[in-house]
Amino acid sequence: MPTHALPATQLDVAADLLALLRDTTTEPRPDPQLEALTLAVAADLPVLLWGEPGIGKTASLTQLAAALDLPLTTVIASVHEPSDFSGLPVVGDDPAEQGVPMAPPDWAVRLVKAGRGLLFLDELSTAPPAVQAALLRVVLERRIGALRLPAGVRIVAAANPRSSAADGWELSAPLANRFVHLQWAHDHEVVVRGLAGTWPRATLPRLDPEQLPQAVEFARRAVGGLLSGRPGLVHRLPSGEARRGGPWPSPRSWEMTQCLVAFATAAGASRDVLSLLVRGTVGDGPGLELLACVDRMELPDPEVLLADPAGAELPERGDLRQAALDGVVEAVRARPDKERWDAAWALLVRALETGAPDLVVVPASTLASLRAADWDVPASIERLAGVVSLSRRADRAAATVKAGVGGR
Amino acid sequence: MIHGRDEIALDRDKLFSARLHAARCRPYLATALFALHVVESRRVPTMAVDRHWRCYVSPVFVARTPVAELAGVWVHEVSHLLRDHHGRSDRVARERGLTGPGERLRMNIAADCEINDDVYGDGLVRPAGAVVPETLLLNDGELMEDYLRQFRLGPRIQELAWLDCGSGADGLEREWDLGPDGAHGLSARERDAVRFRVAQGITGRPGDAPDGWRRWAEEVFHPPQPWRELLGAAVRSAVSGPGVGEDYTYGRLSRRSASVPGAVLPSLRRRPPHVCVVIDTSGSVSDAELGSALLEVAAISRAVGGRRDLVSVVPCDAAAGGVHRVCGAEGIALVGGGGTDLRAGFDRALRMRPRPDVVVALTDGQTPWPGSRPPCRTVVGLFPRFPRSSRRAAGGSRDEDGAEYVPDTPPAWARVVELGAGTAGGRT
Repeated sequence: MPTHALPATQLDVAADLLALLRDTTTEPRPDPQLEALTLAVAADLPVLLWGEPGIGKTASLTQLAAALDLPLTTVIASVHEPSDFSGLPVVGDDPAEQGVPMAPPDWAVRLVKAGRGLLFLDELSTAPPAVQAALLRVVLERRIGALRLPAGVRIVAAANPRSSAADGWELSAPLANRFVHLQWAHDHEVVVRGLAGTWPRATLPRLDPEQLPQAVEFARRAVGGLLSGRPGLVHRLPSGEARRGGPWPSPRSWEMTQCLVAFATAAGASRDVLSLLVRGTVGDGPGLELLACVDRMELPDPEVLLADPAGAELPERGDLRQAALDGVVEAVRARPDKERWDAAWALLVRALETGAPDLVVVPASTLASLRAADWDVPASIERLAGVVSLSRRADRAAATVKAGVGGR
Repeated sequence: MIHGRDEIALDRDKLFSARLHAARCRPYLATALFALHVVESRRVPTMAVDRHWRCYVSPVFVARTPVAELAGVWVHEVSHLLRDHHGRSDRVARERGLTGPGERLRMNIAADCEINDDVYGDGLVRPAGAVVPETLLLNDGELMEDYLRQFRLGPRIQELAWLDCGSGADGLEREWDLGPDGAHGLSARERDAVRFRVAQGITGRPGDAPDGWRRWAEEVFHPPQPWRELLGAAVRSAVSGPGVGEDYTYGRLSRRSASVPGAVLPSLRRRPPHVCVVIDTSGSVSDAELGSALLEVAAISRAVGGRRDLVSVVPCDAAAGGVHRVCGAEGIALVGGGGTDLRAGFDRALRMRPRPDVVVALTDGQTPWPGSRPPCRTVVGLFPRFPRSSRRAAGGSRDEDGAEYVPDTPPAWARVVELGAGTAGGRT
């Protein structure tokens, strides 16, 4: 019968169609959230990915495992029982003598044998509380029954946000404090382009062995610099229902942050990546303060600027430029002498020639007030006359507003 | 290059004098004002911003506008960016299916209304032709999303001259925009950093900034959460905690035990939780709030598995009413009025047999609370009462604006969710 061969051919055709559908290419595309995940995993910190179901968390993990050259083991938490993580009690010949060993599941045995791997605990949020409790021991103590996961095994967990979680999974404050929280969102463009046949291929950060000592120094300076001036930021329990279960600052999470800053620096990661990591570890407010602190560290050193005003490179962005000029004036105030005072004026002139004049007004008036009686006004100050008139003009505008004229 | 006859050089001194004046009037906005990168453009009608914090300036506009008014325009434009009007416009457009330049123009107008009703005065002049809610016969003090619902384009609006604030105001790309790859744009992180510094400047020195800006600063990095989700999560978390609901128990053997001879394995057992909702029916709670409270009761009963017979309701004012089983929200008579004493409601709820696993109290908080922790999980849903900021600041130091009566805050043992907060903002 001719129809006899039909099922086979039809399946072949179906296979061809499937092959065509799966035939996609990749293109390089920067992916800050994947970079952040890679760095946190490299730093051996437990990561918790928060994201709606079906947005490609597993696909990202596959890519990450490939990039780190680690075999991936995925464990769907919700289909397991607590004993799968805490170990199955197996009664031996003489329990009174030998005790009851807690036998680990097969995937754990394989992981330990391999000595390295990426363990992905998916769907934490849909597992019953007892399973979650058992899993947290895996994440935090790296123990599965009688087994201890070797150092080469890295762990990533994933949870659905509370709004979409069926069981209201929620971390207690001490547990939340141990994770790097990364919000996983899909990029509309990536999805549309991927469905059209081209998926992104993230270029993952590589640690530069030469950079390690500088990276550690930088991280210590950044975190230490911030916390020495802001003792209130060291420990602050989250308040309010909305922030429950998220990242918050404590000595432990600051230590994690310092570690992440060092890794991001050694990898030359962008500030966007650093921002995701830092805000995911100590929370938005303290994280942004740390980033502001890092920004200030990047400002040109006032002493370097004063040493060579003619060749000085001032920041292009107005607010940073004003901060740099303020820094210069403060440096002169800290150690005033005629030469430094003159150099500062030269810098202000340079700032005036290369950028917006209104930024120079405050530093100029502060610098003028630092003048000692026997210092002659430098000739270059003539060129700042425009600044003075600018300032007067603003004064006049203020005066007219006050008088109610409208400033015309 | 050949320019038209209206060729006028950009008067940078005037423009920057205005920025200086603006920064002096609003020191807390200085960082943001200085972070703007000025781009001279002859295609912009007046001044406009893009989402990368560039500020496009028309030389002609600068020439004909007085310094004091220009300062107002500076503050106006930077406000668009600080308040994320482009992002909010995009979200509103997506949520409400608004397309086309006409809708974007409406968004620009609505955003202008949100800004213009409170940024001027105190040293800053309102620029001529600026749209204020009054122009559209609307009330002051609302958000862009709310204004957007309340007016249409029409002849009244055609007369508004000063309208194009650029893609930074309404999210629609303009032909003069330099785009994300153009020079001197701020990255997302840099924009966050600037907004954060401005917010910090405002919260760090209370008293300087008007209420509108203070509220913005409080919420910019912690927008109010959708309260329904928070309440649902709190109730679910309470009913799924250890000892309640579904969990493992050694009280019964697991089906798996057969395959592991000699081992004792726990089994999954489901014990549906009992939830008792205490509803504040005192005179201070409005009918609308009671209505929404009842809706929440129905939602909560679904959240615990759809068995309405496990959810009971106790209406309570100064004394507790009888216990109702929920068989349909419409069947409960919420009788009450007058003062509140929720302690009676808690007492009544805890005397129920079987005892509830979770007590949910829906109230405006103007009540005495039980002196000690009840022997079950407690979730409190609070209807907002003004001044909201003083309740928020209860843990902090700022309390000087709480001149009105401020009730006791709910005790620490309860999980508290503010109801109604966040829905008005629409910034979620």
